[in-house]
Amino acid sequence: MTSSGDGIPLPGVSIIVTGTTQGTTTDGSGNYSLLVPAEATSLTFRYIGYVSQEIKIAGKSIFNVSLVEDAAQLNEVVVTAMGIQRNSKEVGYAITQVNPKDVLQISEPDMLKGLQGKAAGVDIRTSQGTPGAATRIQIRGNSSFYGNNEPLIVVDGIPFNNDQVTTSSQTSGGSAYGSGISNLDPNDIESMNILKGSAAAALYGSRASNGAVIITTKSGNAKRSSRGQEITFRSSVSMENIANLPKYQNSYGAGSQFNYSNSNGSWGPAFRDLDSIPAWPDYKAAYPELFPSDNIAYVAHPDNVKDLFNTGMVYENSLTFNGGNEKTAFSLTASQLNHNGYVPNSAFDRTNISVGGSTKLDNGLNIRANVAYTSSKQKGGFFGENQVDGTASQFARSLFLSRDWDLNLPYQDKEGNNLTPLGAGQFDNPLWSAYNNTATTNETRLVASTHLDYKINEWWQLDLNGGTNVSFLNRREVYEISSRAAQGLGSLTLDERRHSEIEATFLSTFTPKISDDFTLKGIVGFNYNQRTVNREGQTGNRFIERGTYNLINTEQSIFDNDYYSRRRLMGLFGDVTLGYKDYAFLTVTGRNDWSSTLPYESRSYFYPSISGSFVFTDAFNIKNDILDFGNIRLGYAKVGRDTDPYNLFRIFEITPNFLGIPGGRISPTSFDPNLKPEFSNEFEVGTRLSFLQSRIEVDFTYYNKNSTDLLAGIQMPPSTGFDELFTNFGKINNRGTEIELIVRPIVNTDFNWEVRGAFTQNKNIVKELKEGTTRIPLAGVLTGISPYLEAGMPYGYLRGTRSMRDDDGNLLINPNTGGLIEDPNEGYIGNPNPKYKLGITNRLSYKGFTLVALFDMTKGGDMYSVTNSSLLGRGVTMDSEDRETNMVIKGVYGDATTGQPILDANGNKIPNQTRLTVNDLYFSPNATLGQTFGINTASEWNIYDATVYRLREVSIGYTFPKSWISKTPMGSLTLSITGRNLWYIAPNFPKYSHFDPEVGSYGSTNVQGIELSAAPTTKRFGFNLTATF
Amino acid sequence: MKMIRKIKYLLPIAFILVASCSKQLDINVDPNNPQNLSESKLLPRIERYLGYSLSIGGQTVDGDQQVGGLSEILSVYTHQLTTREDPDQYGATGGSYYLQGSWNGLYKDVLMNLKIIIDKGTEAGNLKYVGIAKILKAFTYSQLVDVFGDVPFSEASQLEDQVYNAKFDKGSEIYPQLFTLIDEGISDLSNTEALNLSEPDADDVIYKGNVDNWIKAANTLKLKLYTQIRLVQDVSSDVNKLLTEGNLISSASESFVIPFGPNASTDDRNSGYGDYFASQRGHYISPWFYEILKGYNPNINTGIEDPRLPYYIYNQRGADQATESNAQTEYREGGFITIYFGSVGQYRDQTQQNNMSLLGIYPVGGKYDDGKGGNASANSGTGAAPYRLITYADRLYLEAELMNTGVISGDARAKFEEAVDESFKQVDYIITGFVKPTQTVPELYSNPATADYIDAILAKYDAGNTAKKLEYIMTQKWLSSYGGSVDQYTDYRRTGYPIFFDPRDPSMAPGGRVQPPVDGDPFNPNKPSVPVQLNRNYPQSLPWYQTELETNASAPSQKTDPSTYKVFWRP
Repeated sequence: MTSSGDGIPLPGVSIIVTGTTQGTTTDGSGNYSLLVPAEATSLTFRYIGYVSQEIKIAGKSIFNVSLVEDAAQLNEVVVTAMGIQRNSKEVGYAITQVNPKDVLQISEPDMLKGLQGKAAGVDIRTSQGTPGAATRIQIRGNSSFYGNNEPLIVVDGIPFNNDQVTTSSQTSGGSAYGSGISNLDPNDIESMNILKGSAAAALYGSRASNGAVIITTKSGNAKRSSRGQEITFRSSVSMENIANLPKYQNSYGAGSQFNYSNSNGSWGPAFRDLDSIPAWPDYKAAYPELFPSDNIAYVAHPDNVKDLFNTGMVYENSLTFNGGNEKTAFSLTASQLNHNGYVPNSAFDRTNISVGGSTKLDNGLNIRANVAYTSSKQKGGFFGENQVDGTASQFARSLFLSRDWDLNLPYQDKEGNNLTPLGAGQFDNPLWSAYNNTATTNETRLVASTHLDYKINEWWQLDLNGGTNVSFLNRREVYEISSRAAQGLGSLTLDERRHSEIEATFLSTFTPKISDDFTLKGIVGFNYNQRTVNREGQTGNRFIERGTYNLINTEQSIFDNDYYSRRRLMGLFGDVTLGYKDYAFLTVTGRNDWSSTLPYESRSYFYPSISGSFVFTDAFNIKNDILDFGNIRLGYAKVGRDTDPYNLFRIFEITPNFLGIPGGRISPTSFDPNLKPEFSNEFEVGTRLSFLQSRIEVDFTYYNKNSTDLLAGIQMPPSTGFDELFTNFGKINNRGTEIELIVRPIVNTDFNWEVRGAFTQNKNIVKELKEGTTRIPLAGVLTGISPYLEAGMPYGYLRGTRSMRDDDGNLLINPNTGGLIEDPNEGYIGNPNPKYKLGITNRLSYKGFTLVALFDMTKGGDMYSVTNSSLLGRGVTMDSEDRETNMVIKGVYGDATTGQPILDANGNKIPNQTRLTVNDLYFSPNATLGQTFGINTASEWNIYDATVYRLREVSIGYTFPKSWISKTPMGSLTLSITGRNLWYIAPNFPKYSHFDPEVGSYGSTNVQGIELSAAPTTKRFGFNLTATF
Repeated sequence: MKMIRKIKYLLPIAFILVASCSKQLDINVDPNNPQNLSESKLLPRIERYLGYSLSIGGQTVDGDQQVGGLSEILSVYTHQLTTREDPDQYGATGGSYYLQGSWNGLYKDVLMNLKIIIDKGTEAGNLKYVGIAKILKAFTYSQLVDVFGDVPFSEASQLEDQVYNAKFDKGSEIYPQLFTLIDEGISDLSNTEALNLSEPDADDVIYKGNVDNWIKAANTLKLKLYTQIRLVQDVSSDVNKLLTEGNLISSASESFVIPFGPNASTDDRNSGYGDYFASQRGHYISPWFYEILKGYNPNINTGIEDPRLPYYIYNQRGADQATESNAQTEYREGGFITIYFGSVGQYRDQTQQNNMSLLGIYPVGGKYDDGKGGNASANSGTGAAPYRLITYADRLYLEAELMNTGVISGDARAKFEEAVDESFKQVDYIITGFVKPTQTVPELYSNPATADYIDAILAKYDAGNTAKKLEYIMTQKWLSSYGGSVDQYTDYRRTGYPIFFDPRDPSMAPGGRVQPPVDGDPFNPNKPSVPVQLNRNYPQSLPWYQTELETNASAPSQKTDPSTYKVFWRP
């Protein structure tokens, strides 16, 4: 008996003569023998965690069977809150187990991105396409207005801080900051369980109101491997390229209305109509020898954008050692990742070492302990809206270069100053920027955890788990002299942050035997958590000499922050599970929290949960060929949540000196001193069904979650003297369905085909705000576009400027310009939340070969895209190539002042007949009274439906047969090639922008659906090797 | 059971853990920020933000705070500057970045913190701070009423008393309370029985704690406010009383100004200087303003060139220098390059980053124009020009106006002459006293051209009737005010002077076109005329800041047409 895929022998598989009780089990090497009665026709092979197989005897006497792992793992043990292990069928809420193998060696160094399309109910959103950029994970929507809406990540019992540390605003000049989880070594993961609902996470309380991801590592759970000792070596190398390079027109160069000028837009004369143009002034001044004549040829540079990028490489190597004996085990994982992005000088490097051991003492005490060390370095440039003064996005013009610009010319003058064809500080040369404007983040993280457990007797066990997770982040953001940012004088921002978390959990588990029919499991526990943050930031302006990036080399030094915070949370909890005849289960939990961040009167709060699972196939003895397993789950939970530290008192702020005089102000946030905890109430119902002997398995969940009394700052009218009042208010609802489906059309010894689907749908609606408040901004992004919260509207819907329309919805056209008129009132322009997400994985295996293909799609979700507005407005793509014609915007003439249509003598509206050039159609002739569709227009025209279909992952692997490698020290050898993001289509974006909407400018924050010239996504090919010894 | 006995040792540990809970949780006092700041720490920042909220331009200060000033919009509305942004054609909306900066700055940074000084100082007996705070409060509210009309007043700054939606009080009801507030401020300052354990000194960046100057500023503010309401109220006796007492700003050094500084250990520059280092410069000088300075306007100052030009405007191009990349310009005369108000001309939107003329040394601490040209940069000037709230020259113009309109008696011509004289001295005073340039700047007042100019202006003044004389007074005040436009906007709406460019006026723009100097551009002679348009009537007030309206349940709905929304002092 072997396991399909890796060919590892399976001990303990039960083999039963079908229809009898006669059978046997395999030994440690997976061998078995069984005396079969003559009348038997087939054998059934069963093994926990694998799909059962029935094989016809048909006269044969040797059956070499390989079993296929069962993803749904109907009877598998799952890890639930507080590390409590349960049989999946007794659980009354949705849990998805992720096989760590599914996120390894898929040419994706970011573990969260590797989860895309694989787990129902889990929404993964990426940000920039540069190495190490944050990925957002969200389960069942946003349940808090401004708080962290990501799930709690727990690694070996210790929360793993996944904060995105933002140093500079990502609207204007922040970098592609990463988030904490990028420091977790995927190679060390042994199991990953995603607890989606409040019922699942109720024991964690406060911090898991958005679900929890429970990860156990190999080092944290050191066990002797099935082969006694084992060394696993994994190695991958991948090449990456920019995925979405637009298709450029190469017929027209810089200028406007077919006239040449040295400008951003490619609306100038056709290349065939003009031979030469004046040499670009800054280049000529810097390199007179390169421009002997005053003029240069006016020709297209078709690859000027493509040449800005490299082929990036991802190298990943890891070694895992595993060994021990019956009592003691040891595990070590060491990994190294080097990722050089397709953007020059962007990289993410990570080194991990994790060591763990476990032993059973003679007195019966089990001890496990592990330490994991990570060191990572991320390097990259700056992003953000390219029009904000004082900042310098590396992508300000990268994708929209004028078609005649030759960026193969030197990117700097002889002194090292930034050079562009346009000059005048409109943007930094992207290549100069790559090497001179850099953000470098070093992070070191140490995780240590220990676990002790002791069985007092048959029915009473004690567990003590404790540990710490400490991270040190050091970041330097540099703008070199001559950048358009920092007034051209250079600046350095330093950010140092130390985050440490201590967590201890004590559990006392009672499993008394009460009767044959009833089982009882009771847990009482205590949980202690402390989080401490220290942060210091400083900015130095005006470099004294270029090239040295420290504060000493700056003329002006400003303290940005110097901050300390500490919070504590303690919880006492209980959990009782009652089982009846192994088919009906009821779990009741309760937890009381004490939080240091709430006022004395309300810092203690209690919340319960109740959930049940009923295996009706067992209860009613339904066991037939069609339906072989079915349960119904019901769950209700309430979860409380505290606030951040120091949100209770009136404070003043010290601000930088003015004219050498120190000063400050009252804090613009006023705190309600009577804060209460916020609560989420969630109901969920689900079912898991298995048909045709696990050929078809389906898991369906519906949930409805209301979160109330949310703790957030509510925007106040400025006349109150404050920006916001931090208090309890409002209500937010999330409703949705999650479906996981597995179909196995072909299951046999040599050839297997499995299709897995994961469907996620969530509707996230704000139900109430504070009385008298219509809406509040989720974040201030730019004038004319921001995400908002408003009762009855989707979370973070996009609100911004629109064009005026008449009562019939016709666009009003300014007769003077032929353009649109901006409505002075802003309104709804988009909903960034997708309608649903669907992932379909096909896995085919034939003997040693496996082929995996993941197709996924996101339906709906709007995006404000500066990349697209710029591509159109700058006239660089083939979308605007056909331009030697005039256009008329469909609409009726209107009066800009009254906002009413202009009527003719008969009182009828007058259809617009004012012609516009194609240039004007994409670059507004007038920013207020003659708007069109690309640049300088109402924000509504830069909103696109971000529906996207994608072939996300393809991998072809081959596991060498044992016989081939038996003479080598290797136990197994697998080779695979992978492709990632090989094909996608986002049909609602301009055709030739070839835009991939899987980018965002705000990393893992709550602001989604806004793209301000983000770095495009990547396409990768990789080669992978796994060998065990 | 042996094990159970061992376990019992754990129980006390658990007990101790629980028992120490309470102590463990009492850690929520913010160690990062003070729970109190004294008056002396609040005052400098208040004064600074008052300056930001009124001046031209905007910037990010204190790391992350965005400030912007009313003059950004009003300098376009008063035809001192032109722009491609929405103040062009009087199009500023309630969502304007600069309204956001100024409304937020005035209500949050200025008025809220003034309230704390007043509350705290009254309790502690630090009445000098209280007096200054009341005068600044009165000044701030008067500017808000002048610009917006009705604004939150009686219920503002009271979030901590659970007043979340402050009602908008009528301007006519606010003004009388401001006079009371000023009087209270003066009496607090003169209170000799007050404890005054803490007294303003260098932290008062305006007057360095000089109580006498503060009282003079307060009285001059009253003079200004009385003048502003003269059309709806008989203010003769009030004004006469003030003038008789004579405790008014009486020299340039007593002028009520908010100083700014250079970019030294902190960046203390006037935000109007921002164009010197902006990556996309946007403050054009109004051709209307320029032509009046040059003496080209057929209606006023005709034929008289103003010697203040090189102090007012910096040309990045020398008179005989080609533009960068030979870019076409809409308006060029010698080195002076700009665009028109209401322009829809073909060259309006050309990038003129290193071609356009900029605000000079006097208004924003930029560069004195020595005629040589040169691309502006962060290091071109110091940026240390103050924002002028009420100068000595302003006081003199107020008196000249009051005499001209018969509110008080006196020799209006002599007062006018004194005012113009003082306006020129003021330029030198600002440059040497505040801007402290690194380049050599000649003295303006001693330049013989100055006396010639003043004589020529006075000759024109003498030739005019009373209305024309008022036009001369208001036009000179407008020229002098350059750099800050809030009071100019008020003066124009009150008096109708100076006369501004109107693209719809056929005498100013025949056939909707204006003609730049035909051969003003030596490289592109025969400059074509430029089409201009105006789709809105003159706004009698600014729209309210949109966010205030959207967040304040007591707020009125936005002004649909600001040209019909008059401030109460305008009958």
